Amino acid sequence: MVPAIEITGVRAGYGSSAVLDGIDLRVPTGEVLAIVGRSGSGKTTLLRVISGAVAPMSGEVRLAGADPSESRRGKRIGLVGQDSALHPWRTVLENVHLPLEVNTLERRGGPTPREWIARVGLDRAVDQYPHELSGGMRQRVALARSLVADPSLLLMDEPLSSLDELTREDLRLELVGFWGNGRTVVYVTHDIGEAVWLADRVAVIGGRPGRIVGTIRVDLARPRDAALRRDPRFLDLVDDVRKLLA
Amino acid sequence: MSSVRRTLTDLGIAALAIGIIAIALELWTSAFRVPGYLMPAPSAVVARFLSDLPFFLREAGVTIVEAAAGFAVGTGVAFALATAMVRSRVLERTLFPLAILVKLTPIVAVAPLFTLWFGFGSAPKVGIAALITFFPMLVNAFVGLRSADLQEVAFLETLGATRDEIFRRLRVPNALPYLFSGARISLNLALIGAVIGEWTGADRGLGRVILVANANLDLATLFAAVLLLAAIGIAANALVGASERRVLHWHPAQLTT
Repeated sequence: MVPAIEITGVRAGYGSSAVLDGIDLRVPTGEVLAIVGRSGSGKTTLLRVISGAVAPMSGEVRLAGADPSESRRGKRIGLVGQDSALHPWRTVLENVHLPLEVNTLERRGGPTPREWIARVGLDRAVDQYPHELSGGMRQRVALARSLVADPSLLLMDEPLSSLDELTREDLRLELVGFWGNGRTVVYVTHDIGEAVWLADRVAVIGGRPGRIVGTIRVDLARPRDAALRRDPRFLDLVDDVRKLLA
Repeated sequence: MSSVRRTLTDLGIAALAIGIIAIALELWTSAFRVPGYLMPAPSAVVARFLSDLPFFLREAGVTIVEAAAGFAVGTGVAFALATAMVRSRVLERTLFPLAILVKLTPIVAVAPLFTLWFGFGSAPKVGIAALITFFPMLVNAFVGLRSADLQEVAFLETLGATRDEIFRRLRVPNALPYLFSGARISLNLALIGAVIGEWTGADRGLGRVILVANANLDLATLFAAVLLLAAIGIAANALVGASERRVLHWHPAQLTT
């Protein structure tokens, strides 16, 4: 089967300086891959390489066997960033509706914007503006917005890092509920525990320019709950990732 | 509703400030018997204004139409050029120096030329008002259109949005606060432009009234015209402010002011 993401020998960066070098990565369809690394290690750049926003200097990126631009044109990529990046002049409903308004050649069925808003628990805020919402609520809107076009690949760049710990825990539990459906997820984070808890596999980026120093398979059963964080096997995996990072 | 109340409050404060200055001037001119050809008493100015109200309003109408047309042309061209500059580095590099050239040209020097080229009708006044409003709008529109959040751009690009879609759905609404601040500056400049245009050759308008009154040492008429001009400027500002509050109700700055 063609993998959702296949990256071979990619060197990438901005201008003439490489942020990433010698990246090889294969993500099978439906996998949740977490990418961890220190600040400035190139995690976000890797995500941009996958979405096609940054063209590699050398090497190749294929999404479902084709160029990333194909996936973009087909509206098959969902993106959630560190900031919700909502449009302040649009209400919650209008923001979630936005992906359906652009690139209108591509239409797919699935839950409507209103249904997505209800799923992320904001049905009472549909007509509110982003500035009226808390940080956690805004990220929920961004999540609903990223899913409304029913993408097969979901790219998340530290989506919870600007939130407080309790909100993060709640949202983490909810996130998992929106995966599945054969959706492939690439989740960038600097939180090792979060990476292990969420992912099927954790890839660690290190060095300068960044490369993948190792990947660790997370064989913990799903659904996972908050108690898992005290499980010795969980703690062992966290330790393994930490060693790779050091 | 609150937007209307706010506009009225703004106008009330402006009226109060003008009232205080007027009372001080009235006391000063009467206490020191200042001759009317040097400084007319505010009461004389008001009397002059009221005695010939239709005349003043008619002339003001001419100037307002010229300024409004100039504003529309100047800001329209500025927005179109800003759009082109945001889309193309080459155009940005070629157009910006030209825009600065336009900005640095003294309007008073160009005004007679415009009269020479476009005659004594309203065209040269509109042209000058357009010229003077052009630059502040260009800079504001350019900065506004370019300042879109990169994460939002990335999000739309990931969805396969075209440059046109990103422009329409992100860059234009994002530029609105900048466009409004450009409009605030440009509207008053448009009035000044129309008046300067009238100075270099006109038979109508408040600029013409000021010029003739000045030649006749008729300071009451001169001040009445100038104050009317100021009132028009304040009203125009209030109008922009009110529509800004209405259009930009989502903007964080609107919540704190």
